Amino acid sequence: MSNTAVRLAGITKRFPGVVANDQVDLTVEKGSVHALLGENGAGKTTLMNVLYGLLQPEEGDVYVKGERREFQSPRDAIDAGIGMIHQHFMLVDPMQIWANIVLGQEPRKYFGLAVDEQAAIQQVHDLCERYGFEVDPTETVEDVSVGVQQRVEILKTLYRGADVLILDEPTAVLTPQEVEDLYDVLDELTAQGKTVIFITHKLGEAMHSADDITVLRDGESIATVSVDETNQNELAEMMVGREVLLEVDVPEHEPGETTLAVDDVTVTDGDDIDRVKDVSFEVRAGEVFGIAGVDGNGQSELVEAITGLESPTSGRIVVEGDDITGHSRRQRIDDGMAYIPEDRHERGLVMDFDLVENGLLGSQHAEPYSKNGRIEWDTVRGHAEDIIETYDVRPPNADADAHSLSGGNQQKFIVGREFERDPSVVVATHPTRGVDIGSTEFIHEELLDLRQRDRAVLLISSKLDEVRQLSDRLGVMYEGELVDIVDPDETSEEEIGLLMAGERPDGIESMRTTGGRP
Amino acid sequence: MSRARDVLERLVGASGVERAVISMAALALSIVVGGLIVFVSGLGAACEAGANYHIAIPLPGSVEILLFDGRLSMLGFQSCYDPINVYEKLFIGAIGGLPWESGWQPTNFAMEVFLQRATLLLFTGLSVAVAFRAGLFNIGTQGQMIWGALVSAVTVLFVADFAPAGLAGTAILLPLALVSGAVAGGIWGAIPGALKAYADANEVITTIMLNFVATFGTTLLVSEFFQDPQSAGGTQTRMVPGNSLVPSIPFGFQGTRFSILALVLALVLAFVVYFVLWGTSFGFDVRTSGLQPEAATYAGVNAERTIVRSMTISGALGGIAGALWVLLANGRFLTGTEVPSLGFDGITVSVLAGNNPLGVIFGSILFGVLKSGGNALNFQTDVPPELVSILSGLIILFVAMPEFFRLIGRSMGIGDEQATVATDGGEDDG
Repeated sequence: MSNTAVRLAGITKRFPGVVANDQVDLTVEKGSVHALLGENGAGKTTLMNVLYGLLQPEEGDVYVKGERREFQSPRDAIDAGIGMIHQHFMLVDPMQIWANIVLGQEPRKYFGLAVDEQAAIQQVHDLCERYGFEVDPTETVEDVSVGVQQRVEILKTLYRGADVLILDEPTAVLTPQEVEDLYDVLDELTAQGKTVIFITHKLGEAMHSADDITVLRDGESIATVSVDETNQNELAEMMVGREVLLEVDVPEHEPGETTLAVDDVTVTDGDDIDRVKDVSFEVRAGEVFGIAGVDGNGQSELVEAITGLESPTSGRIVVEGDDITGHSRRQRIDDGMAYIPEDRHERGLVMDFDLVENGLLGSQHAEPYSKNGRIEWDTVRGHAEDIIETYDVRPPNADADAHSLSGGNQQKFIVGREFERDPSVVVATHPTRGVDIGSTEFIHEELLDLRQRDRAVLLISSKLDEVRQLSDRLGVMYEGELVDIVDPDETSEEEIGLLMAGERPDGIESMRTTGGRP
Repeated sequence: MSRARDVLERLVGASGVERAVISMAALALSIVVGGLIVFVSGLGAACEAGANYHIAIPLPGSVEILLFDGRLSMLGFQSCYDPINVYEKLFIGAIGGLPWESGWQPTNFAMEVFLQRATLLLFTGLSVAVAFRAGLFNIGTQGQMIWGALVSAVTVLFVADFAPAGLAGTAILLPLALVSGAVAGGIWGAIPGALKAYADANEVITTIMLNFVATFGTTLLVSEFFQDPQSAGGTQTRMVPGNSLVPSIPFGFQGTRFSILALVLALVLAFVVYFVLWGTSFGFDVRTSGLQPEAATYAGVNAERTIVRSMTISGALGGIAGALWVLLANGRFLTGTEVPSLGFDGITVSVLAGNNPLGVIFGSILFGVLKSGGNALNFQTDVPPELVSILSGLIILFVAMPEFFRLIGRSMGIGDEQATVATDGGEDDG
């Protein structure tokens, strides 16, 4: 018992209609990194919110260092030495790093009337020194990289005396290099006796960073294993409940003529900043062209220019020889462009519509769903039911509102709707973001099937392994520029990672056919 | 705090039947609270009627409730206003008595007031509902109605000289009046729509401002150009010819007060609006824009055009309300305090109905009853008119509140909550 940092016993947490955690046990050894692995909806975050005092369980007990505790709020948990770093950082961007760290517990002077800035900076400095963090406390949060911001979050919890740090999907926002740095940070923390709980749904990360792994599925704890005694396939099976293919089998396929051409496209935002700078590339029929890059390097703006949500400041978009730069979004849909949007909650689905209505989204003026302006609801319903059946959307109920579906099923429905348009061009943005392994496998197969059927597929994803595996050619974006186009089979993950970070490693062979730059 | 959240969650997730039950319960509660206010208000007032009680309700102990003719005594306090009498006048007086009582005519005066008000509010309520469904907070139905009223009155006065007499004239003048009212209201609605779509001007602000422009602009126009020379006092137009009024067929209300034809037109329009919203591609565009503008753009909806079109339709419905206000209620265009706040009440009617065109029918009936019943109360009891307004306000407040909280709950993102929690909250995984 003495070596146990945290123990959860029989935690049950229900939400209306869902059991998020069902009698979950979890024991975390002191000084270890413990990964909490599971698909979306498995109940990982819920369990950690219970430990952090954000949620109160219906049943079960929380033990910290062998003592039974009841947390009414995060404050209680912090007092017990538990800290949580959320997916979305909670930092005050215009404030300096030291101020963010001490916020709420500032060292004071003049009888508590003023913040002792010098002492605060010194304390933060000492903290950085102790854990080997390369952070300058006087920098402003908005000026530093996401990786550093994450370290600031970690420092914040350490400053508050946390012994157990919960990290919720900490790698989601990081470049591959920053992920490596994070692993170093975790090593340093555990070396100093801290305990880390690492929430993830990525097998590789769990294997790489953790000492022990607990797999959750459908709110139940499936098993706790030591990384030395397991492998990725076994973990995947535990997560999904059946065998899964982790590697995508990409068949040989000779691409045809250019279907989509992006020609010198520049997109300027409202602040006169070029979000996309002179980007040119072509996607051929029967080809998957991937674009890799850390989120926020112009991919979203580029996609919006191609799909007609934004107009480019300059440049041309050409589909099958026709210049469609001036075409409206609706014309592009009619022309046969399918688009899996980045944000399914904002764009891809109307959350308060049922699946019947969501299946109509984008086709509401097209035959056979609409005749003379009148919607043929029977046809529309049949269409939605077809999508649900073909793409295995669960629960199979066309009358369910979109928001009642899990993320993976929402995504499957969108993918189904877009692919059923029989498009000539498919723009797929983060098609498997937040989607569980089983659905990911399925969506990958569908994308490759389109490729076999000689459709042009543009795939944008920040998952490096995904774009590498699926793409025939891979463009890398950095700060709005397409820095290079490479052969994903000939280029290593590290090399692509460096390109994504704006660096140029030696010996990369460019596949750029037009508009090459030195 | 979390309890309040739970309650909101329950409200947002309530089914149609639950919502109806909640509304009825709210109505009952408002009647109880209103009754207490009536009783307390009567404590200090000077009573007029006699003191012979007609009912005594014994309560445990020595307490007794005595109901006098027109007043009430409870727990030793004597109030001049008897809540039961007040509610009897408010609800039963609204339709001129109980239908099975002898001498009750379906075409009595109170019924006319009730039905006329309900009909006009049905149009303004539909006007607001269309805009709200498109995600546009059109506060400007009042102004759209006023323009519709003036333009239809002026058009009729102008064309009447050339129109044939009798029913043949009606067949020309009446549709013309309705169309001109709809066009005028539609234009007045399209203006803030265009400002919103192409200049990103908040429609709440612009429609409120345009209401003032409409109110005073029409007053100015009437006093400068269309003033009735025979009128001693108010700024108003001449009376439109009798054959341009909505005729009292198939049976005889007084005609200038109410006609079944107008009610039928309103009911038909309610179903038409419902069909347009849920049965057509355009309606799908409108509803998608209203719920999630981003998703609408994604689906190829032209956001600007949809905003302008929805506001034009909304304004046109307001304009028809204005035309009927002239052709049904007054026979002329009036200004200033003579203009009822039908446009503003339309907002409440629509919210009450959850912005459902068919629900608007019931919302406007409630408002019609309160208007007519309020009249009856003022005529038949010594309860002050202010108290009558308070009672009406209370009833509307109580009935509208659950819907209102649902709107708030939705805008706080409650209701998506379940799904978010169920999917682990983990959306981004890079």
